[in-house]
Amino acid sequence: MSLELLSANHGAAMAATLAARANRKGRGFVSGVYPITPSTECMEFLCNQKIEKSHVVRVESEHSAMGVCIGGAAAGARTFTATSSNGLAYMVENCITAATMRFPVVIAVANRTLGPPWNIWADHGDALILRDAGIIQFFCADNQEVFDSVLCGFRLAEDKRVMMPVMVCMEGFILSHRTAQTDVPEQDKVDAFLPPTDVPHRLAQIPHTLGQIEVPHQTEMHRMQHHAAMLDVPAIYREIQDEFEKIFGRRPPDMLVPYKADDAETLIVSMGTIPITAERVVDDLRAQGKKVGSLRVRLFRPLPVEAIGRVFAGKKRIAVIDRNIGLGMGGVLWQDTRALADPGTVVQDYLAGMGGGDIRPEHIVKMVEDIEARTASGAPKLMEMV
Amino acid sequence: MDPQHPAEVPLPSGLSLPLEVRVHGRGGQGGVTCAKLIAALFTQMGCFVQTFGDYGSERSGAPIQAYTRVDRAPIRNANKVYRPDHLLVLDEGLMRPAIFDGVEPGSLLLLNSAKPIEAFAGKFDRYRFGVVDATAIAREQGIGSAAVVIINTTILGAYARLLGLPVTALEKGFAKLGVSGDFAAARQAFEKVEIAEVLALEAPASPAPLPVPPPVASTLEHSKDFPPTVLTGTWSNQMPSYATHDAPCNVACPAGNDVVGFVQALKKGDAGAAAGLLFATQPLPSVCGRVCPAPCMGRCNRAFFDGAVNIRSLERWIGDHAEVQPVRASVPRPLHVAVVGGGPAGLSAAWKLARDGHAVTIFEAGPALGGVLRNGIPAFRLPEAALDRDLERITALGVKVRCNTHVGKNELAQLSHDHDAVIVAVGFGAPVALGVKGEHLANIEQGLDFLDRAKREPVTLSGSVVVIGGGNTAIDCARTAVRCGAASVTIAYRRGRKDMPAIAEEIHDAEKEGVRILSYRTPVAFEGAGAVASALLAEMEAGPPDASGRRRPVVTNRTSPLAAATVLLALGQKTDMPLPDGWSMKEGRAFHGDRALPVYFAGDCATGEGTVTHAIGSGRKAAEAVLGVHAPAAKTNGMPVAPGQIRFDHFEVARPHEDRQIAVKMLAGDFSEVNAGLADVSEAERCFSCGHCTLCDTCIISCPDGVIFRDGAGYRIDPQYCKGCGMCVAECPRGVMAMQEKTV
Repeated sequence: MSLELLSANHGAAMAATLAARANRKGRGFVSGVYPITPSTECMEFLCNQKIEKSHVVRVESEHSAMGVCIGGAAAGARTFTATSSNGLAYMVENCITAATMRFPVVIAVANRTLGPPWNIWADHGDALILRDAGIIQFFCADNQEVFDSVLCGFRLAEDKRVMMPVMVCMEGFILSHRTAQTDVPEQDKVDAFLPPTDVPHRLAQIPHTLGQIEVPHQTEMHRMQHHAAMLDVPAIYREIQDEFEKIFGRRPPDMLVPYKADDAETLIVSMGTIPITAERVVDDLRAQGKKVGSLRVRLFRPLPVEAIGRVFAGKKRIAVIDRNIGLGMGGVLWQDTRALADPGTVVQDYLAGMGGGDIRPEHIVKMVEDIEARTASGAPKLMEMV
Repeated sequence: MDPQHPAEVPLPSGLSLPLEVRVHGRGGQGGVTCAKLIAALFTQMGCFVQTFGDYGSERSGAPIQAYTRVDRAPIRNANKVYRPDHLLVLDEGLMRPAIFDGVEPGSLLLLNSAKPIEAFAGKFDRYRFGVVDATAIAREQGIGSAAVVIINTTILGAYARLLGLPVTALEKGFAKLGVSGDFAAARQAFEKVEIAEVLALEAPASPAPLPVPPPVASTLEHSKDFPPTVLTGTWSNQMPSYATHDAPCNVACPAGNDVVGFVQALKKGDAGAAAGLLFATQPLPSVCGRVCPAPCMGRCNRAFFDGAVNIRSLERWIGDHAEVQPVRASVPRPLHVAVVGGGPAGLSAAWKLARDGHAVTIFEAGPALGGVLRNGIPAFRLPEAALDRDLERITALGVKVRCNTHVGKNELAQLSHDHDAVIVAVGFGAPVALGVKGEHLANIEQGLDFLDRAKREPVTLSGSVVVIGGGNTAIDCARTAVRCGAASVTIAYRRGRKDMPAIAEEIHDAEKEGVRILSYRTPVAFEGAGAVASALLAEMEAGPPDASGRRRPVVTNRTSPLAAATVLLALGQKTDMPLPDGWSMKEGRAFHGDRALPVYFAGDCATGEGTVTHAIGSGRKAAEAVLGVHAPAAKTNGMPVAPGQIRFDHFEVARPHEDRQIAVKMLAGDFSEVNAGLADVSEAERCFSCGHCTLCDTCIISCPDGVIFRDGAGYRIDPQYCKGCGMCVAECPRGVMAMQEKTV
């Protein structure tokens, strides 16, 4: 292992490169790429790597970038792409194709606000368009986690019990452009962690069509198979963590990261880098004797419902911080939190940091003050980033 | 500290961790990389680091910030740096009060500035202050380019000194970072940085508080208006600007016509304004509109698209159709000027002087004004009526004309006594002789004599006619010979067809009329008994290029005879100007010894340039010399607009309007004009208006931020919001816009 100073964008591309090389004895690596701020550096880095038995295609749009990945996966290759914001929006149709055709594509997403008006800064709204598409979604908090999640993502996506795309999210600029020490393992260890890709339904000797028309009953079955595979992900992810730890000597973060949550009366729930700030606030408020804790939701889809239920049990208050808004309803994480919290818990949504505002500890302290003054759940609230 | 990563460089004693560094720089200066290098340096000391830039879509030169955090433990902070311990400012122009936001007394401040530390006395006493001229050091060491000096590695040397790192550690760090090439610069900065310790550390005042977050509001109770507007103008260091640039046609015109001006006036339907612009420099538009070789068309940028604008015929249209009453200015004391020669140079000089209100008399040796225009250009190309139309405008200004008046050496001396000034514009002198055997046989005639004769009386030719030469006179002779009944007409020219100085359309018309062109041929002898019977033509080979850039023709000994009942010589003329005794000509002016005389020379007798248009320009300049006016030098504004500056895709392909040709049933004996010019001025609509704004609004349309507005006779760009993206400049169809550096 060596510690490299890498941006998270470069870290994702480095992990994809190692994974690509690990498939040199399999059916190689295919990636379709198209640049968009703030994920461009990821595809640039990938394009500059020499990878045996690989084809990185610089296409004319995100839609085609995913098309290349679909074709590569259909031929049995390991596949990866990176995008952001409206680029992801443009890719959506083919993302759904990759998901419903059960192709193990790994997608790095540098989360950025959807436009217009154009805003290039962080917002989770782009990835959340694909919340219900049958794609596994990780939201990362730091550089190492982005790197590790890409490696784990390949292992998870290509697991025969899973077989579906994995999206690794990092907040644009806040994380995508942050450089920090990243533990980069040697190739032989990655080889050991990632056996050659085997897509069982790939196009092999006999020509056939994938994704043909089907009747309603078949669709019901396919949806249920896909759903069941998603529900298996938490258990399979734990196996992968164990395997990762055995090979690399360190454990990638859990799908849920509670922080001083056990005895907390007020729980702050958030995703991405926001929980890092929340954890600092927890420390400060604990020092003042307040029973506050944090829950970081790292695996958002499939949502680890049972594990979350255990953390939520008995909480007086749950403050949800959403760097997104499901327009016409409220924060997307809040919607799920409301469904999983105990009936008596005060659940309050705080929309904060949409469009890239820097959520500082002071902001979260205000939210905690607000929820502690409440006796009942209310409609979502906005924390303006002035 | 990281056990996996033993310290390569010892952490300086006295440095307290965690540490937050904020770098202020300009996009493109390397500020983000500077913060990364600082982070990398601290990794050499076994620290955990985190570094990132804070910027968005700013273009190069815009203020940006970058941060580095350093700690003993993995860093758990995802926020920007609001309370830096160390502040690095890469550009003194960024030193504004806001830069010190969150900076507490006692913090470290490192500034890149060419000024000595004394210049900052009393300003930064609260900080540990270092100043270094990193730009000069990096420039001297050749880091970056001459235009953009990259200072990030250099400033790191100064920073290391402030940190208290030994220079050996810095060197080791640079080697580890793979930037050893820049170590010399960093070492210089390490040595040269001037440091002032904290002088006035008050009791650590509580730092200025960060803005208090607003209360949590319901989604319906938030600020009703948009939050403070983003003044995107601060993102850029460049702004677009508008400037008129030279059109290539204007630069090319030897007469100095405002070509783009009059063509654009025609395009707008203002024929009067077009004529006004043209007549400012050009008294003979009916003439030039027919016989000018039109260098303007040769330089027309539209030639690179779908064919040059037919400028010559637009000028002709003005000459033939403009209803212009020339106006004579009134001056308190008019000068009396004699102009010798009534050709284009003399006429142009007289026009300029008379319009300015001076008294002019033209002395013409021939029976009527016009010079070579009247006796050297055939009527089918320049009808007398067209010439007279131009001449009438000149005489209508009150110019006096004395024809049949030869001015010799003595008369010239007398004229210079009797007038305030004399302009001599007598044209070329004797024709160039060929100097070959048999040149004096009968039926070998100078082409100009032949043309003059053919204008005054019916001339009949028979048999084969051979014309020697490649200029307009040669073509005119050939076409006149056809009309005089020659059985065949052949032009022998010593260079290639494309080298012929004649107007291309005229060559084409001559060929259409049956004239044969033999290129790379020169006569080496004429043979015949009494009268010429044949010309012995030698083949020529193209040799090395001569001063004109054309390849010098070399005579070979391969010869062949060509039957010739008549030979017309059109080889050009010499400039020979007989001057009174003791006079000399220097730079267009007469001198008696060292004494300048009020006698000026214009046209071919002074310049030998040989075209009507050059003569017109020369005549006007002589008149300006008489008036003591210096031609406005400011006409040019750098290079004329090049084809590469024209956005061709803004224009529809539209082939040029060709001149209407009149079908002639029988050329022999018919000297009527064959070219009827243009039917209207719609050809003017093809003009790109190179370098001249037409208020086409493309800049408004292409501005992505909508910050360009019509403003009077031009446009206004809102500097508060112009991001300096350059889209308007890139889209301007005609090269009027350019990016300019903003002054900070």
